[in-house]
Order: sequence, then C-alpha cells, then structure tokens
Amino acid sequence: MNLTSYLDLYELLQEKKNEREENRAFGLEHVKYKQDPVTQLLFWIKKHTSRLKRPLMSETFSSYLYSMTLTLVIIAFFLGFFSGLGLLSYSGHEPVNVIYFMAMVVLLPLVTMTLTLLSMFRANASQSLLVHISPAFWMEKMLRFLPKNVQSSLQELKINPLLSNWLIIKRSQLLALMFSLGLLVALLGIVITKDIAFAWSTTLQVSPKEFHSLLHTLAFAWRDVFPWAVPSLELIEQSQYFRLGEKLDTQMIQNASKLGEWWKFLAFATLFYAILLRFGMWLLSMFGFKKALKRSFLSLEGVSTLLREMNEPIITTTAVEEKKNVVPQGSHYMQEVEDLDSSYDRTLGWAMSEEELRVLNDSMQVITPMAFDVGGTNSLEEDSEIISKCKGEVLFYVKSWEPPTMDFVDFLEELTRGVDKVILAPMGTVEDAYLPKAKELEMWGRKLQQISSDKVWLKR
Amino acid sequence: MIQAHPKFAVVGHPNKGKSSIVSTLAFDDAVQISDTPGSTTKRQSFPLKVDGKILYELFDTPGFQRARRVLAWLEKHDVSADKKHEVVQAFINEHKEDERFRDEIELLEPIMSGAGIIYVVDGSKPYGEEYEAEMEILRWTGQPSMALINLIDDTNYVEEWKRALGHYFKMVRVFNPMEADFTQHLNLLESMAQLNEEWIDPVKASITLFKQYHDQMLEQSARTVTQLVYRSLSHVERQSLDHEEATVEEKETIRSNYKEALRRYEQESQKKIEKIWNHDHLQKVQESLLFEGMDLFSKESASIFGLTRKELLITGATGGAVTGVGIDLLLGGSTLLLGSAIGALVGASGAFFGFNELSDVKILGQNLGKKYLEMGPMKNLNFPYILLNRALYHASEVASRSHALRSVAKFEMGKSFTDRWMGDSIRKSLEKFHSKFRSGDEVKAEELKEYESLILTALKNIID
Repeated sequence: MNLTSYLDLYELLQEKKNEREENRAFGLEHVKYKQDPVTQLLFWIKKHTSRLKRPLMSETFSSYLYSMTLTLVIIAFFLGFFSGLGLLSYSGHEPVNVIYFMAMVVLLPLVTMTLTLLSMFRANASQSLLVHISPAFWMEKMLRFLPKNVQSSLQELKINPLLSNWLIIKRSQLLALMFSLGLLVALLGIVITKDIAFAWSTTLQVSPKEFHSLLHTLAFAWRDVFPWAVPSLELIEQSQYFRLGEKLDTQMIQNASKLGEWWKFLAFATLFYAILLRFGMWLLSMFGFKKALKRSFLSLEGVSTLLREMNEPIITTTAVEEKKNVVPQGSHYMQEVEDLDSSYDRTLGWAMSEEELRVLNDSMQVITPMAFDVGGTNSLEEDSEIISKCKGEVLFYVKSWEPPTMDFVDFLEELTRGVDKVILAPMGTVEDAYLPKAKELEMWGRKLQQISSDKVWLKR
Repeated sequence: MIQAHPKFAVVGHPNKGKSSIVSTLAFDDAVQISDTPGSTTKRQSFPLKVDGKILYELFDTPGFQRARRVLAWLEKHDVSADKKHEVVQAFINEHKEDERFRDEIELLEPIMSGAGIIYVVDGSKPYGEEYEAEMEILRWTGQPSMALINLIDDTNYVEEWKRALGHYFKMVRVFNPMEADFTQHLNLLESMAQLNEEWIDPVKASITLFKQYHDQMLEQSARTVTQLVYRSLSHVERQSLDHEEATVEEKETIRSNYKEALRRYEQESQKKIEKIWNHDHLQKVQESLLFEGMDLFSKESASIFGLTRKELLITGATGGAVTGVGIDLLLGGSTLLLGSAIGALVGASGAFFGFNELSDVKILGQNLGKKYLEMGPMKNLNFPYILLNRALYHASEVASRSHALRSVAKFEMGKSFTDRWMGDSIRKSLEKFHSKFRSGDEVKAEELKEYESLILTALKNIID
C-alpha cells in the first residue's frame, strides 16, 4: 500500500459506478482476504485501475510530488552546503567559532525534531500550526505555478488531513536531512581543502572545564567508540578565544596544528544529531505516514460501502423484470341513468340469492314480473336458460365491490343479444344501505367502456 | 416431486390485493397495483435470492376471469381424486393458446409446476358464492394451499370468510399488507412453510436471511445518516477571489452555494435510504418526503426538528465543558476544575449566539497566492439536530412504509418525534461527535463507527 494505491482508490471511488454484483463476485473470489480489508482493497484496485482515464491522478500527483521533492531536496542540500561554507568561512585572522556550527548541527536539529514530534501527535488536526509552519507546507503552495490542467486535476483531490499532514512531516524530515548532509559535505570539503583553526568563544561565564563537560555529554553516543572525536580538556583550554586585543593568543598560535582537531567532533556531532537522529525521525515519519495511509485508506468515502458490497451477500427479493401493465383510463361511461324506473321486464342479480334479489327490488321500489339470480353457483347452462327467458328492459343488479370478471362480461354479451336494454345497477353492501362507492362506480364505468354496447346503461 | 426451491403462487379473484401482498412480501414497490380489475395480465416472479441462489419464489398472478367455465370443463371428466390434478394439467395443455383462458393458464401453470397456493380474499367485503368455483378449481390441482384474508377497507367480514374458507383450506390467516410490520411478515412466511414439510427448512433459512437483510438495511440507513451529518457539518465551500475584499454579492453567492450543497447532501441521502428500503418509486408518486415547503433552513424546520434555545444552551455547555475537562486533565487538575467551568460558559454563550448563524464567511489566502472566500464547517449548534431529526424521521418513515402503499404519504411531524429517541445522555454523546465533525479535523473510521452505532440504536428505537 502506498500513496499511488490510495489515489487510485480515491479516483475509482469518485467514479461512483454501481457494480454491486461485480463487487460481490470479487469478494467471493477473494474471500480469504475478508479479514484483511486493505489487501482485499489492493487487489480490487489492481483489477479496476485499467478503466481509469489516463493520465491517472496518482501519476500526475506522484510526478508533481517527485519533481517538487527533488527540487526542494536539491535546494535544501545546497542551502545546507552554503550555510556550512558560511559558518566555516575562515579568513586567517580569526579562528572559526565552533559554537555557531554546533548550534546549527546540534541545537537546531534538537529543537526542530521536538517540534516535529509534537506535530506528529497533532497530525490528525486539519489546522495544525506546527504542520503549517513547516517549510515543506509553504513550498507546496507552489502548486499554482503548475500548468492549469494539472492544477485543476489536483485541486479536485481532497486528501485526508491526517495523510496530508504526515506527507508534509515526512517531506520536512527529508529536506532537513538533505540540509544536514549539505552541512556535513561543506565541513568535510573545507577541512580537506583548507586548514582551519577552530576555537570557541562565548560571552557567558563558561569555564573550559564546564564546556568540556558539556561536550563530553553531547558526545555520549560516540565517545566510547571514537574517543579521539571528543575534544580533550587541554584542547578546549587551548582553543578558548577572546576577541579583545585583536591578536591571537600565543598559546593558540603555538598549538595551531591542534586547533584543527575540532573538526572530528563537529563531523561526529553533525553525523549523529543532524543526520542520524534526523534519519531516525525520517523513518519514524515514514512509519507514521504508513499508518496514516492505512487509516485514510479505510476511511475514504465509499470504502465502507465497497467492503460491504464485497463481503455481504446480495439479498434480492424484487422482480427480475419490471412489469408494465396497461391500466385503462377514464371513468365516465357515456350511457348512464340517474334514477331507476318503477318497473322492468326482468330483474337479474349477479351472484346473488333469490332472497337478496327480492330485497333489492323492494328497496329500489321496482316491480318486475320475473327475477332471476345468475352467475355465482349457477351452471352455465342454467344461465343460458335464464337469458332465453329475458326480453325487453332488464334491470341487472351487481355487487358494486366485486370487479366484473370475464365470466360476467360473457353473460352480459349473451344477454344483450336477446333484450332491448340492460340497466346495470351496482349495489353497495347492506351496511352502506346498498349505496355504491364512487370509486366502485368508476371501476364499473371503465369496464363498460371496454365492452362498449349501446344496449347497456349504467345506473349511477 | 423434488423441487429446487419452494414456490408460492398468490392467486384469487381480481382486485383482492394479490399484488399488494406480493409487493409487501417481496419488499418491492415496483409491483403495479391498481384498483382496476384485470390490470395484472401476466404472472410475475419475485425470487428471494442470495448471491444469485434462489431460496424461494413468489408469483403474482392475474385473477380468475372465467372460473365457472374452467370448472365446467374439469367436471366433465369424472375421475378419482388422485387423478384430478392430471385433468387440470390437461386443461392447461389443451387451452394454452386459447385467449379466453389466458389468465387461468397464467395462474394455474406455476401451481401445476409445484407452487404452493396462497389464495387471497378481501375480508372487508362480504363473502359471495362466486368464489366457490375458484376454490374448487384450486382443490382440483391437489397442491398445498392456504387462504389469506386481506383487509382492504375498514369493514370486517373476517368471521364469515373464515367459515367459508375453512371448507376449502386447512390454513386461513389474516394479513393486511398495508399495515403489516416486519414480525407479521415473518410470521406469514412461517405459516407458508407449514404447507409442505419439505419447505420448512428452506423457508426457515429464508426467514433468518430476511432478518439479516432487515438488519443490513437498518445498518446501511444508519451509515447513510452518519455520512450525511458528517459531510454536512464538515462541508467547506470555497470560492476564489480576484481582489482584496469580497463584495456583498460574492458573500451572498457563497452563502447560497453553501446552503445548496447541504440541501443536495440531504436529498442524496434521502434517495439512498429509499433505495436501501426498495422504495425507489416513492418520489415519483409523492413529493412529501422532500418536506415540501419545509426547507432545511426554514424556521418551521428549526422549530420542529431542532433543539430549543434552552436545550441548546445545555448542549453547548456540555460540549464546552468536555473541552474544559481536557484542560483540567492536562494541567493535572491544578485548575480546580476551572477549565470545565470556563469551557461550559464559553460553550453555552457560543450556543446562545450561534443559534441562528450557520458559519462565518472568511477571506483566506496567503501572501504568495490567490485569496479565496470560505464558508464552513458548520458553526450552528442547532443545525446537526435539525438535520439528524429530519434524516431519522425520513428513514424511519421509509423503513416502516409498506411496499404495497401507492398513496401519497402523510407525514405528521411534531416535536414529540425528537422525544421518541433523544434523551439527555444520547444528546451529550451526539454533541461530542458533532463538535468533532465541525472542527474539520480528521475523523477516525472508528469514531464514525461509534456515531453510526448511536444512530442505529436511535433508528431501531424509533421503528420499534
């Protein structure tokens, strides 16, 4: 897992392609990685990267990052190198004060490394001051000098603040390391090409003994292995320098060859404090970056959904194909009657008992010579016989709530062949005092529209 | 006959709610439900699939149209009971191309290929003798069967139906697809399993899976709501600036873009939740879920879904105190808990003044580069509660909405909704996360998971 895979995953998730089935199939193929989401995701990225548009965001970003880092690394190295040259510049009139160089290779790294450690603890904050004062952060603002198309593709990128903070921390360590290497090269270069008289000088009341003790402490890491790289008390006494008098101490001149010995200590101090410890910080930042990358990887928007899609079974209950039914429109039948007449030649009741039919006639105050119950449990032959007995105007009661089936339609068609007029009267339930509901009447109206017979009238 | 998986054919008279029952059992709002008889002309299969493997299959079928004619044909064949199903098969074979019996063939075919019968009637209307031919045909098929009394309207003729159906079916159940909850749904499945001994295990497995499916949907909803709150609270709107000071118009533009982005997040989240619960078609037929006229930033919204000023003061104070406690801990308690007290005071006053504000519009930039206007993350303490209440309300309504319903949903929202799930302790827990989301700092996946579990508990409480 690296920044490239993170960016590839980011770009793939931005696509928001709906491929639930494909993801589940992938999950089943890689079921052994179910407990290791990062590995599972890496395999997924590998499979899908080919569908991304070129150049990949990761390629653009990596190349930008690489060139920026390379530029900054070179700048940092030369900055260190020239700073070293400046600090060690020796005119021959005055010895070089080792305190300056020590401040640069011991104090400055210790202070900046402490700040780095603090910023590592606060790396999850988007507005961490410690991260924002890093030179790498501000140098990164050079983004706007990149070509416009590169800028726009990178501006869409929203890197997790934790990750971007670790990216800055890591890069800062590398720059600091290069700066220190520059210092070391400058030191070694000057030592080889010039004879330098080192001395130490301070306004503070520090005795050579105290200074020796300080240097002995600072050299704790190498004093036992390389004792010659720790200045002796004698050397410290000999190299103490006071500017007053504008003349070099005679003792110093006598021991001129010895004053150069300081370089060993300075080189080891640079090597240990500015390079080795910084290298340690760089490794630490790489470790932190890796951890942040893993965390950011799993907290990327869409990752939890993707993992769920891969590892949870697809349960579907819905129809395979969506059905399009044709629903007839309209509700108003053209041939309607508002009121019933007082008498009809015949009255019929669809799926009603004789008694129900009698009650209905009474309740509607309809007189009829003959009333028949049809449909229901009657046989088809019985119905045909009743139809043969029908003539003139027929009042035909139906249950308003029961939808007209084709069985009813067949009967009605046969009936209309032998009679003059059929008044279809949908009747509600007893509880509703036989009054049909409006939507039931609409349903009957629609059905009669489909039948379209000029002999059939609907009682509204 | 050895079957690959149990099948159930939902059959009955036209317009008795067969499609509604299938729609509810299959969690599918795509089933066309119409009050016009004969709107279902083709049977439709609704398989319960897990990774492509069918556990059971439901069939929505057209209603009987010429039951008396079919029965008359069957009765012409005088056979013993063990041969009756062969006569039904012979009827299908003979009338396959006959347009008159298209609906009967459509509904009889799955039954003759081994599907259990679920005969649906409307218990809110009186029993009628015209049903007897249908029930007799089903008896001829010899397939295991049960009757389901569906209550379409308020009137109740269930007892009369039970007496009639008892003559034809061993098992009669009442099931209202419009109001049935998840437990009733599972109970019905259990009853269906009893139709055939061989179906008990696969249907039980389906029930377990359904529970898992339901849990998955709840978890996905909680995750979606969590994402919504997190995205909305941490959202930062940026607009580049060519000059030193932003004009009033520019400030207004960024304000409106900011609000628009949050509205979009909410709409996306609602759509996602509707999809999770298979209510994809909900918005086509109803707009109420968009809380028409009740905008995210309107006063109505704040008064119904948000916290009162008093609740906000307490919430703000709690949030502040939490920060203060951090200071106390850092200084080893040497502040005599002054940090908590100051934190609470600062938090409370922030809550008071931040009641109506959303976020500051800031001009940012550095010496080297361009300046830009920035708005966000959300500053308003009330906003997360408005958003959360709306999201939970929507999610709970969608989750408990029957898939058979095609009517426009009526949301009767009230302040009492908040009381249903948010007590003091949950509010405190939520506020801890809200301030973290608002900070713009990196939010760990575990923290989002923790928030998600709070939302899941709330959602379950509301739905139960």
